[in-house]
Amino acid sequence: MPQAIPLPSDLSPATVANTASLLRIIALSLISGAAIASRLFAVINFESIIHEFDPWFNYRATRVLASKGFYEFWNWFDPTAWYPLGRVVGGTVYPGLMATSGVIYYGLRALNLPVDIRNICVLLAPGFSALTAWATYMFTKEMKDESAGLLAAAFIGIVPGYISRSVAGSYDNEAIAIFLLMFTFFCWIKALKLGSALFGTVAAVFYFYMVAAWGGYVFITNMIPLHALVLILMGRFTSRLYVAYSSWYVIGTLASMQVPFVGFQPVSTSEHMAALGVFGLLQIVAFTQLVRSHVSSKQFQDILFVALVSAGVLGVAAFVGLTYKGTIAPWTGRFYSLWDTGYAKKYIPIIASVSEHQPTAWPSFFMDLQFLIFLFPAGVIMCFHQLRDEHVFVIIYAVMASYFAGVMVRLMLTLTPVVCVAAAVAFSSLLDTYLDAHEPEPEASATDSAASVDTGKKPKKEKAATGSALADLVAAATPTKKGDAPKFKGVYGTDTRFMIVMNAIAMLSFFVFHCTWATANAYSSPSVVLASQNQDGSQHIIDDFREAYYWLRQNTPETAVVMSWWDYGYQIAGMADRPTLVDNNTWNNTHIATVGKAMSSSEEVAYPILRKHDVDYVLVIFGGLLGYSGDDINKFLWMVRIAQGVWPEEIQEPNYFTPQGEYRVDSMASNAMKNSLMYKMSYYRFSELFGGGQAVDRVRNQQLPKEGPTLDVLDEAYTTENWIVRIYQVRKEDLLGRDLKSANAFAKGKKRKRSKPASRRRALSAAAST
Amino acid sequence: MLSLHTFLLFFLSLSGLLHAKSSSGDSVLVVLEPARQADFSIFFDGLKEQGYELTFRGPKDEKPIVAEHDVPAFSHIIILASESKNFAKDITPQSLVELMSGGTNLLMALSEKQTPLSSLASEFSLILPPPGTPLVSFFPERKDPLSMIPIDAPVDSLILSPKMNPVWFSGVPHALGSNPLLVPILHAPSDSFAADTDSNADALVDAAEKGGEGLWAGSQLSVATGFQALGGARATWLGGVDMLSDKFAKKSKAGNKQFARDVAAWTFQESRVLRIDSTTHHLVNGTTPLEQYTINDQIVYTAQISHYNAKTSKWEPYSGITDMQLEFTMLDPHVRTALLPVAGSPGTYSVTFRAPDRHGVFKFVINHKRKGWTHLFSSTTVPVVPPRHDGYPRFLSAAWPYYAGAISTSVGFFVFSAAWLAGESRESKKAKKTQ
Amino acid sequence: MPPKPAASEPTSAVHTLWKAYNENTSDRLKFIDAFLVFLMLSGIVQFAYCVLVTTFPYNAFLSGFASTVGQFVLTASLRSQVNPDNKNEFKDVSPERAFADFAVGSIVLHFFVFNWLG
Repeated sequence: MPQAIPLPSDLSPATVANTASLLRIIALSLISGAAIASRLFAVINFESIIHEFDPWFNYRATRVLASKGFYEFWNWFDPTAWYPLGRVVGGTVYPGLMATSGVIYYGLRALNLPVDIRNICVLLAPGFSALTAWATYMFTKEMKDESAGLLAAAFIGIVPGYISRSVAGSYDNEAIAIFLLMFTFFCWIKALKLGSALFGTVAAVFYFYMVAAWGGYVFITNMIPLHALVLILMGRFTSRLYVAYSSWYVIGTLASMQVPFVGFQPVSTSEHMAALGVFGLLQIVAFTQLVRSHVSSKQFQDILFVALVSAGVLGVAAFVGLTYKGTIAPWTGRFYSLWDTGYAKKYIPIIASVSEHQPTAWPSFFMDLQFLIFLFPAGVIMCFHQLRDEHVFVIIYAVMASYFAGVMVRLMLTLTPVVCVAAAVAFSSLLDTYLDAHEPEPEASATDSAASVDTGKKPKKEKAATGSALADLVAAATPTKKGDAPKFKGVYGTDTRFMIVMNAIAMLSFFVFHCTWATANAYSSPSVVLASQNQDGSQHIIDDFREAYYWLRQNTPETAVVMSWWDYGYQIAGMADRPTLVDNNTWNNTHIATVGKAMSSSEEVAYPILRKHDVDYVLVIFGGLLGYSGDDINKFLWMVRIAQGVWPEEIQEPNYFTPQGEYRVDSMASNAMKNSLMYKMSYYRFSELFGGGQAVDRVRNQQLPKEGPTLDVLDEAYTTENWIVRIYQVRKEDLLGRDLKSANAFAKGKKRKRSKPASRRRALSAAAST
Repeated sequence: MLSLHTFLLFFLSLSGLLHAKSSSGDSVLVVLEPARQADFSIFFDGLKEQGYELTFRGPKDEKPIVAEHDVPAFSHIIILASESKNFAKDITPQSLVELMSGGTNLLMALSEKQTPLSSLASEFSLILPPPGTPLVSFFPERKDPLSMIPIDAPVDSLILSPKMNPVWFSGVPHALGSNPLLVPILHAPSDSFAADTDSNADALVDAAEKGGEGLWAGSQLSVATGFQALGGARATWLGGVDMLSDKFAKKSKAGNKQFARDVAAWTFQESRVLRIDSTTHHLVNGTTPLEQYTINDQIVYTAQISHYNAKTSKWEPYSGITDMQLEFTMLDPHVRTALLPVAGSPGTYSVTFRAPDRHGVFKFVINHKRKGWTHLFSSTTVPVVPPRHDGYPRFLSAAWPYYAGAISTSVGFFVFSAAWLAGESRESKKAKKTQ
Repeated sequence: MPPKPAASEPTSAVHTLWKAYNENTSDRLKFIDAFLVFLMLSGIVQFAYCVLVTTFPYNAFLSGFASTVGQFVLTASLRSQVNPDNKNEFKDVSPERAFADFAVGSIVLHFFVFNWLG
């Protein structure tokens, strides 16, 4: 058969197949290497440190697991978190991540390789990203073929949308959850294709692992039933579907209830009812099919049809009734806010205040996915062309994930895998068409399929990673062509093919450059350590956070309680090792509101709260000197809102604005603002820095009054080099039982006003009037 | 010689037994104009007899300073310099409060004139009358001036000895604020009032009509008040220096000497002094304190309290507190129970209670404050955890149908598999046979 | 089948069904069906106990009930996989492989059941 490009023809099919699989293995290992390497920017630029906030708690929990063993970890009660309520960690945490690290740690020790637990935690995410690439390869292989699989693996290995949550040091649940997500989906598709209960069981076991690892498992819990339902509605019910879904559902749900944090939710909350409903529906449909195979009477079929419909209606009615009565819990706030986006801001300010929960801006789609985002719809449409069962799954996944990614920035992460898969399908189809070496005969005769032949294009991908250049191999193996009459449409000229293929390679190169740039600059910051540039261009490290936490660690008694806003709770617990009042777990809204009230009230109101909770130190973040905009004065309104939710008569948000409605911190600030503890703590002695000149807050760009605030109930304990973290010590009650303000005034030398003996009339008149 | 030596030692030790010493030190600084030192010889001799070392200093003298590098130099300070308007630099109201936080006890006297102590008195929640208005009383009829008043001792006082002779007083009264740390020692007689000798009684009548507001009269006024600071130090305010003087002590049937002795004993931490020696907690069946308890545990809490016996200068176990409370607190007391003395074990107070059903970080808190007695405060933090995951009751009998169901399913599975495989081998044998 | 009068349709339809079932199913499948019926009865008994008497302890109920339901669906899957009518659906799963899958699935199921029962 004529070939556009001359190919070797003396290779046996076995050699070809072996070479192809060898190339594939090499490609996958290089992709894994690239995935791991591109996540190491933070480790090399800064150091091997846990990033951000949430990972610090996971790291502490893993340390407990590593030092005390699994049994103690499972029953761990942390008395230093949420002082004095404590936190039952064993029952309120997703243990999958810690258990994974623990297993690796113990495994390595059994091999006599004592690796420090911190290094395991830091490098866990890159390691699992390599596994994610492999799982995506397997998944896409089921969709199309191995070449698409390799493309998808390469894409997800370096795409910024996934890297942002899995750099080295980002020790969070998503690090292993995405791998489990893709692998569970792969097992599900495989189970569906084969109709095998074994793959269904494996899918259920990995689903259990996913439930143990991440709260986003609800996505799988609803995606798979939705897929099954759509297949039924399309009329594609088969026994394979029945086998796969039933085995997955029963084993998976039973296993998922073993995780204490999940408990009985799978049978009592709305988020899990879809799976149960589809399960019931499947049983009914299967039974119907079975009966129908025995009986051919049309009337009987009609009765059965009626019975089926009424059963379905009854089921829905029962669900609605039970939800109304309360037996089935309605959608929890976190998930309900995905449907009603205005809900959280009104009713659950804590959820609304998290920056990751804000809607996604358009530029982030391009930033995270680059050219994959416009290949994505093309890939979905190609799925419509083929429309096997698994393609239906990709379509549903794509639609749902697109919606969720638009609602919350954080959920870009669930969109990324399906974008990689669909884009890989589209790109691979493109390459297939233009790399296919066959040309049709000039005569209109049907050509039969021949053995697959290799084409020898090996585009290189260059990476500007940490100095080392890694080459990636993409070997496109042409699938066997089905015999069909060649129409004379198509591009068969070599020059045209060359241009298209070169263009495709250029797009891939740009993709690589973009991913590396985005990873290096935007997603590799540990956010515990900040970096800026000096005037001569050298890097200036701002290490104020650690400076303050280590001051606390070395200069305060071990039982000293630290109050700060909940953002920093995990870091204080992890680095300073002191009890904290509230932390990022945000499980107790009233406790957080109490801290908010203390921060936003005057000293007289805040002091009893501080004493009641045994607070010894208060910590605030202040960015006014440096221009660090993530400080507590910017978050202050959220503190007010959350406190207002619990004490609406004491704290009102409008009081903190000027009468014109502006949020000001200079001399025009409202009284409530000026007297609040947060304002005083942030600007205490700030004007002294300017030596008599005007004090300027660089973040708000406002000038502060010359007379700074005074503090009566707190003593300044420590302020870091760039004034980012300020720590204050709470004064104990006055020796003579006075209120602290008068005690301070006396200590400064002011005299009290003369008073007279009190009137004795009061008691009598009160008695007379009643 | 030997016998004389031993005899002397014996005699000295005997004399030591007879003297009551303070529980917090013996060094006393007396701030007094040197000219008036001789006027208080009875009082000072009494103190020296008790074993105190007195150091005298004029109010304007530079030495000896009261505190060296923030460390108090004396255990107790008596300030009787009621005539001086200015003191030396190191005795200021602020520094006296600092000294109290360091544990120094103060005995201070006010006067009609304005001294630096007048501004300090208001910090102690004492309200002083306008300057130049001493306490005056027409009753009982006596030959002495109106401002020298005999005050009957209260019947049931914590600080003063019972059955004391009337105490002669000359000075200013003070009204008491609402601070609960005040311990009134001696109230003014009900028929006395504060007035300067020139004005008439109109001001008094006006004030009386206003319900007593601003009325400097009656037994609501106090002439000697004690104060217990939160750190444990004690301070006593006397309305006039003359209460301690020899002239008043020598009056016939005057209780001044006994009064001075009692007030000094209380102020210098001799009488009514308690302390918590130790506290422990453990489970009912155990003896060692645990690091954490489980909810609904039966916990035993024990405290050892002793009382300072001034006569023997020793701390002795004391079981006389009948109303002590123990609070088991997490933000608010979840358990508040009486901590009662254990019969047969002097000084031991113990209680057994059930830990609440709520997990968290709790504190055992003893917070016993009574007027005149040392404040007792102790706080021990202990976590209370929920039961371990296998600490709950397991394998309940109420669940037998479920156990039966699960076991029957497993058994059925095994039977079924066995039968199936047997059937398969039979079928394959049949197939082979038919071939 | 000759058309029956409308009033007795349900009963006769069931009768018809029963006859057809008896004739068309092999012994092996009937054996599976017997096991299925046993499991269904066991599940119904547990559910009735739960609803009528008490839901405590809930985890024991759920694990016992789940064990019957799980075993039921696994056996039903096995049935559909070994049914010769379905051969063209299950191209990659031979009856022996089907049984192996069934065994693995059941063992995993029972492992979780017994872990949670107590």
